Amino acid sequence: HVRYRMEVSCLELALEGERLCKVGDYRAGVSFFEAAIQVGTEDLQVLSAIYSQLGNAYFHLHDYAKALEFHRHDLTLTRTIGDLLGEAKASGNLGNTLKVLGRFDEAVVCCQRHLDIARDTNDKVGQARALYNFGNVYHAKGKSICWSGAEPGDFPEEVMMALRKAAEYYEANLVIVKEHGDRAAQGRTYGNLGNTYYLLGNFRKAVASHEQRLLIAKEFGDRSAERRAYCNLGNAYIFLGEFEVAAEHYKKTLQLARQLKDRAVEAQACYSLGNTYTLLQDYERAIDNHLKHLIIAQDLNDRIGEGRACWSLGNAHTALGNHDQAMHFAEKHLEICKETGDRSGELTARMNVSDLQMVLGLSYSTNNSTLSENKDIDYNLHGARPRMSRRHSMENLELMQLTPDKMNGQK
Amino acid sequence: PQEHQEEAKSSAVSSSQIFHSDGGEMEPETMEIKSVSEYFTKMHMGSVMSRQRG
Repeated sequence: HVRYRMEVSCLELALEGERLCKVGDYRAGVSFFEAAIQVGTEDLQVLSAIYSQLGNAYFHLHDYAKALEFHRHDLTLTRTIGDLLGEAKASGNLGNTLKVLGRFDEAVVCCQRHLDIARDTNDKVGQARALYNFGNVYHAKGKSICWSGAEPGDFPEEVMMALRKAAEYYEANLVIVKEHGDRAAQGRTYGNLGNTYYLLGNFRKAVASHEQRLLIAKEFGDRSAERRAYCNLGNAYIFLGEFEVAAEHYKKTLQLARQLKDRAVEAQACYSLGNTYTLLQDYERAIDNHLKHLIIAQDLNDRIGEGRACWSLGNAHTALGNHDQAMHFAEKHLEICKETGDRSGELTARMNVSDLQMVLGLSYSTNNSTLSENKDIDYNLHGARPRMSRRHSMENLELMQLTPDKMNGQK
Repeated sequence: PQEHQEEAKSSAVSSSQIFHSDGGEMEPETMEIKSVSEYFTKMHMGSVMSRQRG
């Protein structure tokens, strides 16, 4: 009788945990699952489901150490009781968790186990899911190896190899999910495949994938996915040198970010638009967007974003010959870099300030023609003068990225 | 059903992220889902119902 009460109680707690996680309240869900484990159960299938859901709840809460712990428990348990399907699921979840933790080699082993079981049991859906996870692991691995300075398509061979593997797994996944007509899965895969092609430097293929992703996002009315697709398309068009098209996509990103009331994404879209207008040499519009970015960054207390906005604004004002304004933002950039401990940004800011001091000094002592000559020099110094060819525009972009934060390892 | 749960999740991106330097925004992970209620419905509901009645 006592055991029966315990079983019901464990089950009831687990069911409540399940309900809470379904509505997105993972914190409360975790408490109920933990309580269910405290009470205990002799039904190992129930215990496996609890471990698995606890792992997922912690995953959603970004507590990956805890997620790892419970997905491990689930894997051990399913192996012990010989539950093959349960083992496949546990392996998949463990693989995803290990990926996030940057333990890619272990993640690969888990993905392979997930895939092997799905193949052995002729489970096509399981195979597709394992292939998607596999692609994600190799994509993340590629990105983690070398991420400083290099341009997409120009990474070390080790990185390119991992990315090519990711593309292969995503393509294999696509074959299955297309067969099954699973549009949601296709959307996800197209998105990540697009990002993989982008990193591989295949921008045309990246655009084609993201166009598919966009189409599916619209089918589902998934505006977050739509916004992601627009942003990723904008990025690819930048590298194709099609800045006007990129700007159109960033505008759509901005529109959706506002609809979704996502201020951080809105700020990012403004920043991207600002940079794109700089490439188009439309400095007034560039300033307008960088100012919008600055205001949101200040609202969100994002000092790094604020510093970057000041730096961009300094460059745009320099390009227009507004040296007083440029000085104002260069000084602000310097102040923020000092505060955030951004050493390379600080160096750039100091150079900008001293260049501008020189120009401003000259402007008091000489006539306007000298000033306009200096304007040209400044463009080149700060990488703010765009060129229309892809190669040169990318060099300028690289400068824009590198200076404030990239060397500092910020994302 | 699990797909929709994943689709709904939007990850906030810090404005400190620069365009295209992060290699693009990724789609959400797909986690495998186990459920006590599903398993219970399949395996145990009958026996518990009879126990509750008794």
